[in-house]
Amino acid sequence: MGKGKPFLEVMSSAIHEDYRFPFLELFAFLYAIGTFVFASFGVTIGTQGTAQGTTNEIIAYGAVSSTLSLPLFIFIILVFKNIAYGLGSDLEKGIIQTYFSYPLRRRGILTAKLLSALGIALILFLGIQLSGLYILAPDIVLPQLGTVILTYAANLSYPLLIAGIMLLLTLKLRRGGISLIAGLVLYFAMSIISSIATVFAWASESPLGLQIISMINPSLALQQYYGGTFEFWIPAFSEVLIYTGVSYVIVAIVFFLGYTYFSRRLNL
Amino acid sequence: MKRWTTILGRGGTVLIAISLALLLVSIIPQINLAASVGVMPVASDQVYTISYRALTPQQGFQVEVTVEGAINVYLLEVGSEEPYPGVSMLFDNATELQEFLDANPDLIIWEYKLENGNFDHYYTPTKVMNATLVFHNPGLDDATVDYAVILTSTVAPGEKVRNIALGTTPIGIVLALPWLVNIWKQRKQS
Repeated sequence: MGKGKPFLEVMSSAIHEDYRFPFLELFAFLYAIGTFVFASFGVTIGTQGTAQGTTNEIIAYGAVSSTLSLPLFIFIILVFKNIAYGLGSDLEKGIIQTYFSYPLRRRGILTAKLLSALGIALILFLGIQLSGLYILAPDIVLPQLGTVILTYAANLSYPLLIAGIMLLLTLKLRRGGISLIAGLVLYFAMSIISSIATVFAWASESPLGLQIISMINPSLALQQYYGGTFEFWIPAFSEVLIYTGVSYVIVAIVFFLGYTYFSRRLNL
Repeated sequence: MKRWTTILGRGGTVLIAISLALLLVSIIPQINLAASVGVMPVASDQVYTISYRALTPQQGFQVEVTVEGAINVYLLEVGSEEPYPGVSMLFDNATELQEFLDANPDLIIWEYKLENGNFDHYYTPTKVMNATLVFHNPGLDDATVDYAVILTSTVAPGEKVRNIALGTTPIGIVLALPWLVNIWKQRKQS
């Protein structure tokens, strides 16, 4: 028997647990409703003189940011639930030990679990959001596809980082409850830290704090690029791309640590 | 086989859930933001325009026109980024309008040639744009235009969203049915 079949067995079992009927349907419904209800095409940002990018790029950025508002939080809830409770309960109940008896490497088991917990949630979220935006404004989405993708990438990196940290915590603690709380605290902590850094930046006229935060939450740099709130920090487009790239490198490192821990250190 | 039934079934139920959301969105009523109503005489070869700035995909407008005489009605689009320098949107005469139409055929959203008739049209932009409604009397006699232009705000273009929902619902039902029947049979057996 090849490795493909056990991998699919683990993945289908994980999908069955993560998306019990009608959870998947409920989240799909909420994503679809949220995309239309929260979409806004007014130029809510980019009215400052230091804003970069063309008007159409700013409109596309504003539209994606508005549609992301609540649906992104719903997406985060789903991913956190899947990682904390899905993987946590598997560890608690000893289901992971059963998977270890499969002719499959440990990293294969974790990949199957993460594809279910994160991959399917991400495909559903992006699929519905992009389709919704295309239905609403095809002449904004298609010509500004680069801006749309960059906005999604910048906004998703921090939730993915928290998901990685939650994965590490769940593996270390072997239960999901505490890591779920830690994930939610980290998510809300970012908005508090961003606000404090913004105040400091205004007071000191130094963007250093914001630049550091942008390395883990590049949406802040992107917001500055298209919004132009501060006169003393006007990031170039290449700078925004670097922040986004760095943030994903950090996300990759955290997930790599999770894989390493699961493969070598997790004694069950 | 059973696994495929489950995968397709869940795909179908997701499609039904999305369709329900779209149907719900499509029945959210639109709000009338502003209305421009009037009756105006349009002399031979004269041009009248009504312009709207920065319309969005969540703003549309309904045009109801009744004409006595001969009138050409155009809806023209001017991109928000490139305002076409050197072209005044308030055309002074028919020659200016014709020159503009010949030079920018891609900016004509629609055009109607009316003679003692009426029309009712709804338009929702697919991007942020300016729009100008143009009335032109091409005839030799004077004409009268009785018009009502209602600017509306909506969550989504209702008809488009409803059509997509009505198209995807049957696909979702077809995909989900075998899976739902399986579940029903299993429950009946147990």
